[in-house]
Amino acid sequence: MTASLFVHPASWFILGAALMPVARRLGVMKVWLVLIPLIALARIHFLPESFGLVEYLGFDLQFGRVDRLTFVFLHVFALMALMGSIFALQVKESGQHIAAFLYVAGSFGVTLAGDYLTLFIFWELMAFASTFLIWYRKKKRSIEAGYRYLLVHTAGGLALLAGIFLLYHSGHDLSFGMFTQEGAGWAEYLVMIGFMLNAAVPPIHAWLPDAYPEATVTGAVFMCAFTTKTAVYVLARAFPGFEVLAILGAVMALYGVAYAVIENDARRILAYHVVSQVGYMVCGVGIGTAMAINGTAAHAYAHIVYKALLFMGAGAVLEMTGRSKLSELGGLYKHMPWTMFFTVIGGIAISGFPLTSGFISKSMIVAAAGNNHQIILLVMLTLAGVGTFLSVGIKLPYFIWFGRDSGVEAKEAPWNMQLAMAMAAFVCIFLGVFPGALYSMLPYPVEYHPYTAYHLSETFQIFGFTGLGFYLMVKYLKPHDVSNLDLDWFYRKGSLRFLGFAAGPVVAVNEWVSNVYRTIGTRFTMAAARAFSWFDKEGIDWTIDGAARGVVDGGDRLRRLQTGRIQHYIGGAVVALLAVLLVVVLI
Amino acid sequence: MMARWIGYLRERAHIVKGVFFAFLVFAVAFDFLIHRHEPHFFGDQIIGFWSLFGLLGCLGMIIVCKGLSHVWLEREEDYHDR
Repeated sequence: MTASLFVHPASWFILGAALMPVARRLGVMKVWLVLIPLIALARIHFLPESFGLVEYLGFDLQFGRVDRLTFVFLHVFALMALMGSIFALQVKESGQHIAAFLYVAGSFGVTLAGDYLTLFIFWELMAFASTFLIWYRKKKRSIEAGYRYLLVHTAGGLALLAGIFLLYHSGHDLSFGMFTQEGAGWAEYLVMIGFMLNAAVPPIHAWLPDAYPEATVTGAVFMCAFTTKTAVYVLARAFPGFEVLAILGAVMALYGVAYAVIENDARRILAYHVVSQVGYMVCGVGIGTAMAINGTAAHAYAHIVYKALLFMGAGAVLEMTGRSKLSELGGLYKHMPWTMFFTVIGGIAISGFPLTSGFISKSMIVAAAGNNHQIILLVMLTLAGVGTFLSVGIKLPYFIWFGRDSGVEAKEAPWNMQLAMAMAAFVCIFLGVFPGALYSMLPYPVEYHPYTAYHLSETFQIFGFTGLGFYLMVKYLKPHDVSNLDLDWFYRKGSLRFLGFAAGPVVAVNEWVSNVYRTIGTRFTMAAARAFSWFDKEGIDWTIDGAARGVVDGGDRLRRLQTGRIQHYIGGAVVALLAVLLVVVLI
Repeated sequence: MMARWIGYLRERAHIVKGVFFAFLVFAVAFDFLIHRHEPHFFGDQIIGFWSLFGLLGCLGMIIVCKGLSHVWLEREEDYHDR
């Protein structure tokens, strides 16, 4: 039993989290942080197709179900856990590492889950553990953002749970499989909403750019990788070919990038850009062909690595300078050249330059849209690609590393941060040069060739002329110290408005009612009270007291009768007898 | 070392600019030469289509997004804290 327990990679991370304080006490926490992800990375190659079958309260739980779609996600999650842990080595608080490990465990648990109940448990573990990665920043804004994050995810979890209940109600066996668009009803769409919230699909996306910029430097690196991509995995498993996902995904790709163009905080730009990139994947799931699902998995893999790399770069800048707003940064290439070098690789990879991972993954989804004759999707996704290059490929690096010299003095990031960034940058280039390494892991056989002359020509032109556009408009893009409204307004300001409404009109009505009560009601009550009081005194008291007085007087008289004289007693007895006779005769 | 190279190039911005414009010319010229197979839509047939798409897409996005931000969405950084 214990042997089979440790087949599951999540067990290793949970064990890792549980023993973290011990490892810290023994002074081997850094080793432990690298060892656990390495074990997971090795173990996933030897997972049986099905394991961890448990019967619990009449439900068949399946903790492990492995196929090709699962494997590619497991692989990148394990790799990401390793890079994220290395990036976080200098963090001394074991609590942060525990939260990160539990979060990763949740992600593995969801990915391997074979039924909805197991999935739900790990789904919630992810939400709770990741909240601590925000709270550990320990600033007022982070605490508040963490609460909002937790509340939003709880709401999403409830939608998912409601969907699961309805599925069970309709006789579904709760095994985690594929739905078809034709047969989908309330239950399926509630499950989908639960998944979509974690994938940050507008209009339920605002938690992501709200929370990630407030997370700890190392926490944000973990968070940008796991929540949304786990959601992409479950969507790809349950809802391939659902048209609504294709449309929302393409909208999402443009929505995220539009905000990335106008935002100022480096980590908020990257967070919005997560929304955009996940849009490609959600769109790929919606297209649902073998090529599109391949593209989704490939893009999830590539995206996790380069987005983590970019969050590491922005995090390293925040760690070393204490700043993350573009309006306060600039000219840092002199002080942190290696961080710049790696981050720029991340930037060109995310834009999809030839010889980087973005070129071989993103284009697969776009091509799948084209092959499926969904031209509007193709144009929207390509336009989002233009925006990606503009916002994260040029704007972000330009205003952090070059541009106006901000005069910020900074040291180069610590060795472990640089090592993690170097690893991620290596993976970005490696996959671009050897796409076969990634393609061989994908769920379906790959017939796609990224390096065609036409694809290269398209890419050269788009990048060249997007660059020209930036060059022409650079003074309009100069960052200001502002942030932009998004749909989180509804629960941040909207709830305040509601409180305002409660404090204003509702309280006024309440006071009016109290006044009416005071003036009319109180008088009426007083009059009624007086009436009752009179009745009490004159009615009830008179009766009761009268009876009492009667008893006392009677007793007094009876006492005086007891004189001890026999004549009196006989007389009394005769009177009593007469009385009895009178009563008997008269009645 | 890397910082010195970049400093060197920044002092000679005209070289960078020259290389960049040469690349733009190359990108369009390259589109004349390549073989186009199974086009997905009309844009795939037009030489230089993606150049125009990139430029107009970029300019359009900057104008629309920055415009929306200015007239509607923009708030002080601490807007939500007040």
